[in-house]
Parts: sequence; structure tokens; C-alpha cells
Amino acid sequence: MIYVIDHKDSFTHNVVHQFSLFDNVECDDFSKINKSKLQKASTIVFSPGPGSPRDYPLSSKIYKKLKGKKRIIGICLGFQQILFCEGANITEQNKIYHGFQSKVIVNKLSKLFKPGNEFKVGRYHSLKLKEPFKAKNFDITMRCAISGAAMSFENNIDKIYGFQFHPESFLTINGKLLIKKILSA
Amino acid sequence: MNKQTQLAEIHHSGKPYIIYKSNKGFDLYTNFSKKIILNNKNVTNFLNKKYKNKQKNTDLFIGFFGYELLNNLINIKIPHQKNINFPKGIFYKPEKKIKISHKLTYKSEDIFKKSKFKININKNAYARIFNKFKKKIKGGETYQIKICTKYKIKSKINPLDFFSRLSQTNLAPEAFMIRDKNYSIISCSPENLISKKGTYISTKPIAGTVKKTKNLNKIKALKYFKKNIKETKEHNMIVDMERNDLSRICKVGSVKLIKQKIVEEYKDLFHYVSLIKGKLKKNTKNIDIIKAMMPGGSVIGCPKINTLNLLNNQEKENRNIYTGSFGYIKFNGDMRFNIIIRSILNFKNISEISVASGVVVDSNARNEFNENYIKAKALIDLYK
Repeated sequence: MIYVIDHKDSFTHNVVHQFSLFDNVECDDFSKINKSKLQKASTIVFSPGPGSPRDYPLSSKIYKKLKGKKRIIGICLGFQQILFCEGANITEQNKIYHGFQSKVIVNKLSKLFKPGNEFKVGRYHSLKLKEPFKAKNFDITMRCAISGAAMSFENNIDKIYGFQFHPESFLTINGKLLIKKILSA
Repeated sequence: MNKQTQLAEIHHSGKPYIIYKSNKGFDLYTNFSKKIILNNKNVTNFLNKKYKNKQKNTDLFIGFFGYELLNNLINIKIPHQKNINFPKGIFYKPEKKIKISHKLTYKSEDIFKKSKFKININKNAYARIFNKFKKKIKGGETYQIKICTKYKIKSKINPLDFFSRLSQTNLAPEAFMIRDKNYSIISCSPENLISKKGTYISTKPIAGTVKKTKNLNKIKALKYFKKNIKETKEHNMIVDMERNDLSRICKVGSVKLIKQKIVEEYKDLFHYVSLIKGKLKKNTKNIDIIKAMMPGGSVIGCPKINTLNLLNNQEKENRNIYTGSFGYIKFNGDMRFNIIIRSILNFKNISEISVASGVVVDSNARNEFNENYIKAKALIDLYK
């Protein structure tokens, strides 16, 4: 079972539908997390949402508790949430991407996707990862083709993955495939 | 009897009636046997109650949900606001339905007394709110938010005369009017929020508006929208948000984008429109559908909950019907609802027209303020 932790976003149910193509999905509001569902789940997904990781200490707590024990996936805010817990600085960007389709490139550090691959994705983020960023076993594996901003990370040791863009958006080409790969990794 | 004469007769009799745009013309509903004034306490009961299908074309409730009621339904409270004490929602049970297949030609003989419109937020105040929300966007608290301005005028109006003139110049697919004893609503809403037939549901969000000019035809309008990054981003966001709202109540894999970014033409403007469909999950109740879809996202902003809270804390006046929904619920469960925009609410001889336009990160206060005026213009012109 996949447990989606909803940060009151208007895209969460697109995420739920996309993951439901591969497994049973449960979804609850971040403030009403069910402990037994959390225990049963094999994968935890931190949803997109408004605000910054600082606003969701409950989600940070869950991440720290389950890191290494379950597969963890973060999307948009969820991506930032995981990196924030790993000590990253999440900052405002000068150019903001909301409802924006842009190209990302896979780099050599990726173990799941082919380095050099380019594809179109949908973006909805005000904030971004401040670099340089270093955390054990975490690699930035996709970047914006224009700005170079971090667009995805992989931690294949602890099975933790994240996308700054939205794989579930109609603007993302082949989003389903991305999810399939990280769920079977 | 000629349908137009029949309509005029119903109008002059003083009894309440409703007109709703149909595929071919208009449907007129009257002889109401029930009138339900909605509040937070009775709304759930109203939506859950089952009625026997009598195989009549009047087996339905027709009316509207106001904005505040729709917020309360999804557990969002609205702080204290200036309020004209207009009902939060009203539904009627008609006993008579008349199909009108041609244009409405009614004209009032009375002389109309003119007065001047007042706007509740001036350009400077608008710019202040605009900049405040822009900061919220930079911080990621909202991705898009709609600032509402309200035009008010004191005047006694003849709603049928207004609606006839409006539908001659600006025939919108979700147009409707309500005439009751102490209020009337005249609307040329272009936006369908819910079309539910059996287990299928669709929504047709509008995001993107451009003023019509001599040089701008439909094809050029499409080019304009496609090139305009701001309009495109705004629209994309609404498409993903509506996909999300449908996904709450629809089967996995069934939510599909049927029409993507097409242009529709109106009297003073062009709109950028998409159509999204889905198949409902088994045992989905109408109340679940209403809670998932309302208030319609395209007129609020995104993400819905946080943006509603930001809006409600900002706005000093109750929105009343504006960004609520008008439509019907049939006894067999089918529904049709619009989003109440481009509408006049006339209550106690005061008319109010509300409009809103979106703040995204690269919009500009003056343009959006003017866009609000373009949206209100077709309605304001009726008072001339």
C-alpha cells in the first residue's frame, strides 16, 4: 500500500490517481495521519502543497522516523520537505514557475534514468533547493535545462526519491513512467 | 399562446420564475411548490434527501448556492464581513417548465432612471492588495489568487428586460435569471462547473480573457493566448486543479482532458477554455461531488483551500452569489451547475456586480484592474 500525505494541495488527487495505477493508495491530510496506515504502507509519498517545509513539522517527523525503513517519495513541496530534513536550505527563486512547462535533463548521477535524456515537465514551485547541497547517499539527478535548478534526486541506498516538478501534471510527458521506475527500483 | 407572450404574462403576474439557457434556447421554470432557503444546518439534508422520480420534466430542484455556504460545506469559515443579509442559497421545486426555442424579445415600457456605479476598491487599493498577494506567491503560499471587486448601483430594474437585452448581445452558455419577490439575478455566466449525467461528469473551466478589438478575431485570439506565457500558465494551473477535483470523485484512470485550450467568443471578449471528463466512483453522492468541485477553482485560485483562506481574510464584503453556483439537481441524480460570474444581484433595489481577475507572479496590477472592468462592462452597459 502507498500512503499519500496530503499537504492540502489542489494537485494531491492527481498524484493519488497516478500512484493508484500501480498499487492501492490511501491518502490523508498531513494533520490527520493514521498510525496503522503509516505502519502498513510500503511507500510514503509527501504531496505537493503551499508554503515551505518549515510549515510542516509533522511531515518532517514522519520522514525522520521512517527514513531507511520504507520507500519515501516527495513531490514539489514533498521534494523540498525531504531535502530540508537532510539539512538543505530551501529558498525563494527570482523567477517563479507556476503552471510552467519546461525541459529537464537527466545527469550522470542517475541510476534509474538514462543520463542525457531530456523531457518536458510541469512545474509549480516558488521555492527551490539552495546549492551547494550535500547529504550522504543523496544525488541530484535531474536539472532544469535552462537554469540548472535541481529537479530530482535519488537516494538508491535508502530508497528515497523526489521530484521538484509534478509527474502527475498534464504538462509532464511520460510522468507515469517516472513513477513506475521509482516504485520498482 | 405564443411563448413570448406567455413569458411576459408570467412576468407581469408577479410570480417567481427562473430562466436557464438550454441547448436550443431557454427553459422557463415556474409555479414553484417549494422554496428552500439554505443554511449551514439544512444544506446536507437537502442534498442527501431522495425524491421519487415521477417521470416529469419538473422532477428537479433549481436554484443556487452562495459563496459562503460553499466555503462552510468544506469547513472553511469566513471572518465577519459587511453583509446585506441575502440568503446563503435558495432552491425551488417547479411544477411547470416551458421551452423557449427562440430569442427573448421582451422590452420594458417603463422609463429607466439612471444613476452612477460605485466601485468598492479603487485602483490604488487594488494595487495594494495585488502587491500583498504577489508576496504570498513568492513565498509559495498561493500560486494564483483572484481579487474580487464589486460595482454597486441603486436602481429599480426590470429583470426580464435586462436579461432579454443581455441575451441578445451576449448569449452565454450558462446564462440564467431568477425573479423572485424581493430579489432578482441576471447572469451571462459562460462557465459550466458540473455536468453530471448518470455516472459521467464533466467540467469546463475558463482561464484567460482577452478584449475583443476590430483586429482580433478568434484565430488571432488563439495565437495570442498560445504566445502569452502568463495566460498559458494560469490556464495550465486551472486544468491541473480541475483534474484534481474530479479525481477526488472519479475512477482511477478515467479523468481525461477532452478539449485542451480552445477559444470561445463573446460580445466584448474571448475566453480560453478546456473540457475535462471523468467517470464517477461507485456510490458517489451528490454532496461529495459538490464538496469536491465547489466553489469552482478557476474563479478562486490555487491551491484552493489556502487561497480561499487568504481571500476570505482580505475581503471586507460578503460575496453573496458571486463565485457560488447556480443550476439544478434532478430527482434521478443528474446535475448541471455553473459558476456564478458575470451576474447582477438585485436585492432591495440595489444592484451589485462582482468581478475578479487573477494575480499570478507575472501579472500586473493595472492590467488586472482593467480586466475586471472589461468583464463587468456588458452588465454595466445594461444600465445605460
